[in-house]
Amino acid sequence: MFQKLREILNNVDADYADIRYEIKREGVISFSGKELTQVGSSSTDGYVIRALKDGGLASVVFTRESDAQKAVKTVLENAKLISKTVEKPVKLAQAEAVKETFIPPLKEDPREISMEEKLELVRKYNDIPLAHEKIATTSIKYEDVIREKYFLSSEGSEIREDLVTTRLSGEIISADGNLRQNLRVRRGGSSGFSTVRNQESYFEKRTGIVLDLLKARPVMGGVYNCILNPDLTGVFTHEAFGHYSEADLIENLPSMREKMKIGNKLGNDVLNIVDNATLPEQLGFYKYDDEGVKVRSTQLMKNGVLSGRLHSRRTAAEFGEPLSGHTVAEDYRYAPIIRMGTIFIEPGEHTFDDLVNMLGDGLYILDAKGGETSGESFSFGAQYAYEVKNGKVGKMVRDLNISGNLYQTLKDITAVGDDLVLSKVGGCGKWQTNIRSCSGGPHIIINSLVVGGA
Amino acid sequence: MEKLLELARKKSDKAEIYSVEYTSNQVSFENAKLQNIDSKFQSGVSLRIIKDGKLGFAYTRNLINRQELVQNAIDSLKGGVEAEYDFPLTKEIPKLDKYDSSLEGVSSAQMVEECARVCDILKSKTDGEIEMHSFVNIDKLRILNTQGTDISEKGTTYTMFGGATYPGSGAGIWRVFRSKKFEKMPADLVNTLIDLYKLSSKVVEPKGGKMKVLFMPNSMLTLLWRLFSGASSKSVYEKTSPIADKIGEKVFDEKLTIYDDPLNDKNPGARAFDDEGVACKPLTLVEKGVLKSFFYDLDYAKKLKAKSTGHGYRTTQWGGDPITLKPIPAVSHLTLKPGNKSFAELVKSMNKGVILEYALGAHSGNIPNGDYSVAVSPGVYVEKGEIVGRVKDGMVAGNIYETLKNVTDLSDTLYPCFTGEWMPLILCDNVSVATKK
Repeated sequence: MFQKLREILNNVDADYADIRYEIKREGVISFSGKELTQVGSSSTDGYVIRALKDGGLASVVFTRESDAQKAVKTVLENAKLISKTVEKPVKLAQAEAVKETFIPPLKEDPREISMEEKLELVRKYNDIPLAHEKIATTSIKYEDVIREKYFLSSEGSEIREDLVTTRLSGEIISADGNLRQNLRVRRGGSSGFSTVRNQESYFEKRTGIVLDLLKARPVMGGVYNCILNPDLTGVFTHEAFGHYSEADLIENLPSMREKMKIGNKLGNDVLNIVDNATLPEQLGFYKYDDEGVKVRSTQLMKNGVLSGRLHSRRTAAEFGEPLSGHTVAEDYRYAPIIRMGTIFIEPGEHTFDDLVNMLGDGLYILDAKGGETSGESFSFGAQYAYEVKNGKVGKMVRDLNISGNLYQTLKDITAVGDDLVLSKVGGCGKWQTNIRSCSGGPHIIINSLVVGGA
Repeated sequence: MEKLLELARKKSDKAEIYSVEYTSNQVSFENAKLQNIDSKFQSGVSLRIIKDGKLGFAYTRNLINRQELVQNAIDSLKGGVEAEYDFPLTKEIPKLDKYDSSLEGVSSAQMVEECARVCDILKSKTDGEIEMHSFVNIDKLRILNTQGTDISEKGTTYTMFGGATYPGSGAGIWRVFRSKKFEKMPADLVNTLIDLYKLSSKVVEPKGGKMKVLFMPNSMLTLLWRLFSGASSKSVYEKTSPIADKIGEKVFDEKLTIYDDPLNDKNPGARAFDDEGVACKPLTLVEKGVLKSFFYDLDYAKKLKAKSTGHGYRTTQWGGDPITLKPIPAVSHLTLKPGNKSFAELVKSMNKGVILEYALGAHSGNIPNGDYSVAVSPGVYVEKGEIVGRVKDGMVAGNIYETLKNVTDLSDTLYPCFTGEWMPLILCDNVSVATKK
């Protein structure tokens, strides 16, 4: 394969160029209620070329080998067009040329497990909620997504890496009269099919929660002091803070760049945030990004002070900061962009009981239900919560959406728990989707969150 | 393709080929400067076969090995996905004017020039941080099946999407422009953006409570996703739609007539047939507030003993790569019968309320139930018919089956949403707005 890629790359008359070829294999099993709606596996493939010419960087995607010549011509024309227009030529930070094949160790390779066996397992999980009368339906999807990547650069890098993702995702919907409640299920990871085995008790627990939600009261909208569970801590860290650690999102927003200067004190003293995609067996794990840069653990915040950032080669040069290896594409249909790997708030010293006592009155909010961020504002849904009164966890409430201002909220994180849980399933959208997006943290206390209820 | 169909026919009872080719070019300006040009040339083939009432499904980018594609589809038959439906025989399809060959010749340089022109205007007239994206899309679709259907169509879409962001906030005023051909972004669209940006620059901190909310094109998904969920035959079949048994009943305000109009080729993206080869036709979902119909694909039509309404699309809530997706019931051309007030008149009629420019978190929350709870990004605040500034960190929440019973007015113009629909602005009363006060 590399020989073929080299032939294409040799035709790119640029100051720098790289080509990535990928075969993407996807296996899918999905259930809608009792009904099996999709089973199958297929593979697709395609190419991405990036070229830097006279300070202009452009990219092209193509899926037919016969389009290679057209693609090369297009990417060079576009790079030259950019170079004529830009005030400041694009530079790429120096990166080491690497020749390596990295196939991650797996506990059970999903490619070697029969469709029948996968189907039987997913059906077993799906049947757990459906055994209950007040479960209206389920929507459960099993996927294995395997990216077999070949990366070649004009600087001499030649990297072959596999990313194997297994995931069980979907939701359980309960109903009572006109009332419907839904609860997400999320299992899986990067280390093989074993990550979706033995999940019966997880499905039982989730079923119990979505049934309880039928009896829960809608939360009263207002401002609350809150404990967030690790899943929600992760989503907050990812949505509200993490995206602004992605250099490409702030590169051309002068005011955000000013606010996000390294050394700025943005958070409470108790806050330490890191992105560490080198942690093995976590969903976010990889070795080289889609620019061929080795990923490294990056401390983003230390004691509330901004201490690092996630970079591409382009933004690392632009900001004059170290490379981090975070330039990742969804697949061969996209040029890579800056992505979080495994981002989390580092654990502190408080037990969960300490946190509940410290909170006194407020809400204990659990599990994310989607989030979005725009500049300093963020919003995310939560699956459910419990009222906390006088340091005691009480009744369940539902219909929660939380919003806030990033800078204020970072200051309002007043206590950090001693546990750490990282997410098993990802799906971050930023023009393209990153199913390996991993986030987490401990339980934390955030004061004065706006909670929008029904 | 014909050979592939022949091969699939030999191994199954029924077969369908969905084949696409698309090229796209995207130019992006950030901080009013050219940042990126991305081009794509893609193609793909997806195969559905039905044998003994079971479905087989497989896809590929490059049809190098027909045998392998057919074998992958046959292998997936073993899963036992039920498929009781037939593929349609569609011979006559409406002739649509959806392809403008001039778009094929539009260069990156022309796109750059136009983006630069609009960026310069916005930069000179506002203090915002300017972002602008321009897209040229050319799509070809062909569907063949063993019933004898062999239909194809070709379309062009030119989109410009961008705006001015209040410095440091991430929120701003953005507009979408869409056409079948390359055109300059109209001056009145640019001017509206500038005016609204200027009027809403000041941050205000009003007290929360129940008030009027004007849903704008960029926040329309807040309502649409819940509506799609409720009116989908899939939700009806799965008993997750709160309006499953309400055909003929009043579910919304009588000012609302909601319909799908795939044949309207005035705007780009019209469709003569859906992704299953069923001929498209207009469908009224809600007439004067009364629920008239759900939308069906082949599969759910069969399950519910109805007929496909031509709404089988290979998509998800987030779009996606069509060849890899099985069709589901979906509406792609939803619109509302417009009202008779201009944007300015709608604002004038608001004693107190929020113009919801963009909503953060439209995808979260209990969508099947119709609940929404979104952060304003921004919410332009109106008092006594005048825009007084913008709200930060506020939330708008409710349930569409309540909110859309309280429609005060609709705009007289349809505007493009960034997801492809053309919608009027919808002014609703008595919506809950939470602020820090």
